[in-house]
Amino acid sequence: MNIVESVPGAIENAAQNLDVESDWVQKGGVYWFTSQQMDVRELATAMNAIHARFVTITATELPGNDGFRLEYLWDLGGKLLGFTFHISGNSIDSIYDLCEAVDWIEREVHEGFAIDFAGREYEPLLLRPGDKLGVNLREVAK
Amino acid sequence: MSYKMPMGPYHPALEEPYKLDMICEGETVQDAKLHIGFNFRGIEHLAETRNYIQVVALMERVCGICSNIHTLTLCQAMEQLTGLTPPPRALYIRVVMAELERLHSHVLWAGIAAKLMGFKTMFMECFAIREKVMDVLQAISGNRVNYSMNRIGGVNRDIADPLAVLGMVEQLEREMVSTIIPIFTTSTTARSRCAGIGVLTHEKAVSCGVVGPTARASGVPQDLRRAAPYAAYSELEFKTPVEEAGDVRARLLVRALEIMETCGILRQALAKMPSGPIDTGEAKVVFSAGTAVSRVEAPRGEVMYSVSWKENSRNPARVHVRTPTFANMPAIRYMVMGARLADTPLIQASIDPCYSCTDR
Repeated sequence: MNIVESVPGAIENAAQNLDVESDWVQKGGVYWFTSQQMDVRELATAMNAIHARFVTITATELPGNDGFRLEYLWDLGGKLLGFTFHISGNSIDSIYDLCEAVDWIEREVHEGFAIDFAGREYEPLLLRPGDKLGVNLREVAK
Repeated sequence: MSYKMPMGPYHPALEEPYKLDMICEGETVQDAKLHIGFNFRGIEHLAETRNYIQVVALMERVCGICSNIHTLTLCQAMEQLTGLTPPPRALYIRVVMAELERLHSHVLWAGIAAKLMGFKTMFMECFAIREKVMDVLQAISGNRVNYSMNRIGGVNRDIADPLAVLGMVEQLEREMVSTIIPIFTTSTTARSRCAGIGVLTHEKAVSCGVVGPTARASGVPQDLRRAAPYAAYSELEFKTPVEEAGDVRARLLVRALEIMETCGILRQALAKMPSGPIDTGEAKVVFSAGTAVSRVEAPRGEVMYSVSWKENSRNPARVHVRTPTFANMPAIRYMVMGARLADTPLIQASIDPCYSCTDR
């Protein structure tokens, strides 16, 4: 039995809505979607279509100059769906216009890692005064 | 003519500092902006500098009200990375601590809400009962705020005599049934101050991704204890109160009903508590590299920890915390739009905000 067959039907639906060949891997409490073909805005549209609830984005700086890993998490009936994006630069499309709940976490990641979520405007920094980005969690600033 | 009315960061209506800038026309709020960060401590960064024992103590300090929930969520994530499964008795003790903390948090919130309603007598009643809840927590853990109960693979302290704790819980339940519950559900004062104000519609609650009692008061029936059971919740029976109105009164009712459900869960957990060890007894734990995510239903809603570990490391590579208030606070903007200025302190308090959690 493969992973898709072993998880609830709702997750299979999620895979179908994404319309790409993929597998789900259940690991560390999350059903991870392991396709390299994903676009973050298509993902947000697919999650809206299946009425998944946005949970958060976890950003991690990769060693060396390998960029960042962004893990987008949605809840679907108690199952946590995870989608990983690696960005080599410091920019990724914003999904704020598709998913209102992402607003503050995009602002926080922008502030903590100096990652730009393209296509949105930022209000003043969320957690710290001033105008310096990336001073909280980005390695260069530690 | 419109004008800007700031509330905070330091204001009698706020239990902790944050700022709500409201654009008003006369006495009516037209729009609002929220500013946080006054309690920012860089805890996620600090976590990367602590080992697997120290990080538990550190994350317990994220929040003073739901400190136990933070260590529970963190330990559950770390248990996934270590492959350790806590014994059944430890899982029941975790439920008891989590539900006592919910009781404590809801009664504390009820007191603050009563104060903001101008119902000072009720504030005193709530805080008197809250002291007794803290007495029970102290009787179990030896502490009143940071309980230090959770560890990787179990809990640090046993409940030696669950039936004695059960007696204390039943006494608490009797007091709440005779005071807090009837007053908050039927009194004219509570109804007139709370009904119809600070409405968050079902659609907006879904759109904003709000969690916990704030979501359930807007007709969103989410509760991780049911949807994704952890600890021993799958073995316990309880209801998830849901209200449809989305106003402050609905949030009040949801929490009042949750207090009753919590007492029921505590009675079951204390009566059914299995015998046996309270931890796995592992002297040394080994982490596998990777990421683990854990979620629990805190008093204010879903808490999520994402914990990443590198091979052969004693420290986490990354700890990310998504607290319920972080999810709920942006919705305050919609709750206060169209409200009377005088109602805004109660409206913002109705989500039971925790700014320390939010800022981390």
